[in-house]
Amino acid sequence: MALKLMKGCEAIAEAAIQAGCRYFFGYPITPQNDIPEYMSLRLPQVGGCFLQAESELAAINMVYGAGGAGARVMTSSSSPGISLKQEGISTCCAAEIPCVIVNMMRGGPGLGNIQASQGDYFQAVKGGGHGDYHLVVFAPSSIQETCNLMQKAFDTADKYRTPVMILADGLIGQMMEPVELKMNPNPEMPEKPWAAQGYDPKGERPRAVLNSLYIETEDLDVLINRLHERYAEIEKNEKMVETYHTEGAEFILCAYGTVARVCKAAVRILEEQGVKVGLVRPITLWPFPTETVHDAIAQESVKACLTVEMSDGQMYEDIRLAVNGCKPCEFMGKAGSIIPSAEEIAERILKMREA
Amino acid sequence: MKEYWVMLGSFGGGKSEMSLNMAVRAAAKGKCTLIDLDVINPYFRSSERGDVLDAAGVELISPPYALKKIEILSVSPRVYSAFTQGEGTVIFDVGGDHIGAVALGQYKPNFDAIPPEKLHVLFVVNPLRPLSSDFDSAMSMLQKIQKVSRLQVTGIVNNGNLAELTSIEHLKMGYDLVRELSEATGIPVWGTCGRQDMLDQFTQFAAEQSLDERYIGIKYPIEVMMHRSWDKFLNEGL
Repeated sequence: MALKLMKGCEAIAEAAIQAGCRYFFGYPITPQNDIPEYMSLRLPQVGGCFLQAESELAAINMVYGAGGAGARVMTSSSSPGISLKQEGISTCCAAEIPCVIVNMMRGGPGLGNIQASQGDYFQAVKGGGHGDYHLVVFAPSSIQETCNLMQKAFDTADKYRTPVMILADGLIGQMMEPVELKMNPNPEMPEKPWAAQGYDPKGERPRAVLNSLYIETEDLDVLINRLHERYAEIEKNEKMVETYHTEGAEFILCAYGTVARVCKAAVRILEEQGVKVGLVRPITLWPFPTETVHDAIAQESVKACLTVEMSDGQMYEDIRLAVNGCKPCEFMGKAGSIIPSAEEIAERILKMREA
Repeated sequence: MKEYWVMLGSFGGGKSEMSLNMAVRAAAKGKCTLIDLDVINPYFRSSERGDVLDAAGVELISPPYALKKIEILSVSPRVYSAFTQGEGTVIFDVGGDHIGAVALGQYKPNFDAIPPEKLHVLFVVNPLRPLSSDFDSAMSMLQKIQKVSRLQVTGIVNNGNLAELTSIEHLKMGYDLVRELSEATGIPVWGTCGRQDMLDQFTQFAAEQSLDERYIGIKYPIEVMMHRSWDKFLNEGL
């Protein structure tokens, strides 16, 4: 398909439809309203269903229902709305319901603001809901990449019977860029024999019980062990990371999402000044690409690494775990939805170099 | 007597870009008021370019809460002042789709009082945008917008573009679309807009291909003020 000039939110919604998503349940919140807006128009055109729920809680529970029935389903929200969905997300993880959740991060905590932010890393990666679970988290850094990851998000959700979160921010949602979308009128849908699609008393189709309540300790133990075996599989197979000019670099920048895009500009600024700097950009925040991060930073040429986030240092914890003390780690954070500039990142690296 | 311009169209189709360019140009010749009537989107509104408008001497009427980074958008009571007698140009930059055009409906008695030759209602089309890229969707949008705005569109504008990747191919796509719309509705094509270099190339292309001048209209050069490339985003944020 040819290029289209699309807003991030529109592109994400269309990419989801092309990946086979036919159900969307959500509740409005800025800066992601263009997703439900677009879905409300497009889903009926493809035989799907859009429903604006009465609350975020209702929306995620509708996702539970549709996902449990085997449909490709999605919800989207922005930070405070995602907080409201956490109980449902934990429940979807426990009941092994595949679904896709988009978080267009905005400023927090509390109501925060409606500008872009990266304050929800902990919530997404370390479990915003209760219990012993993981959420697969993709962090795209451009509209095009977000589109490409939508198909992967639905496939991963179905493959491992788990919710997948797209953790983007208001910038990606609101920015307009030329995008290429792969149009797919008949997306391939995997078989889901486990789904609640009707009980056949003659034995052709057994009862499907999708549940997150396991009163007996042994039963819960079985579930959690099963989940954790699956998480181990996901960790083995699904890590995604981009390395940019890391080989033989003197300093390594670590960033995800839109900030990584700023960091790339900083890499180029520094290279023009003769400073060799690379960037490691985790695309999956969970499973975290620990080995790649470690190997890039552990190189002999590297003096130190700098993590840049639009938060007070959240991914920074995982970076330090990956580096495991082998090189000095520094952090540069921006609060209040202020976007760091490539120049100030470059300046910080130059300062580190002097020291 | 004031001259009135109303910009209508789909989300992200180029209404604000057109409005800003027109306002700056009109202000060079006389009094100009730009009314930001977008009650839909807290981002990407002509009010964001208040500095440019100020420097050009354009009077800007914004919703009371615009640019306060909150979501309560409403219509300014000052809009009525635009309908008072006087001289100059008044430009209405309206919110996207028929949803945004609703904000116009309440001014029907005011618009009715304007002599038809002083009221230009433009429908801006970009075939590279989703949901308004083909004849059926653009036509349906045009009809819906006319209904809720209670205004008759007087001209169609070809704004075929793919931001920084624009080529004459996109202006040609726009040409084909506005031609179809014009033929179906009888509404004339007001003009074709784009960066000056694109328009120059398109003029040559149109001559070579013998495109019908009626569906090209005025060639209206646009200086990009609204669209945010990634670099602009970094400097200015959302």
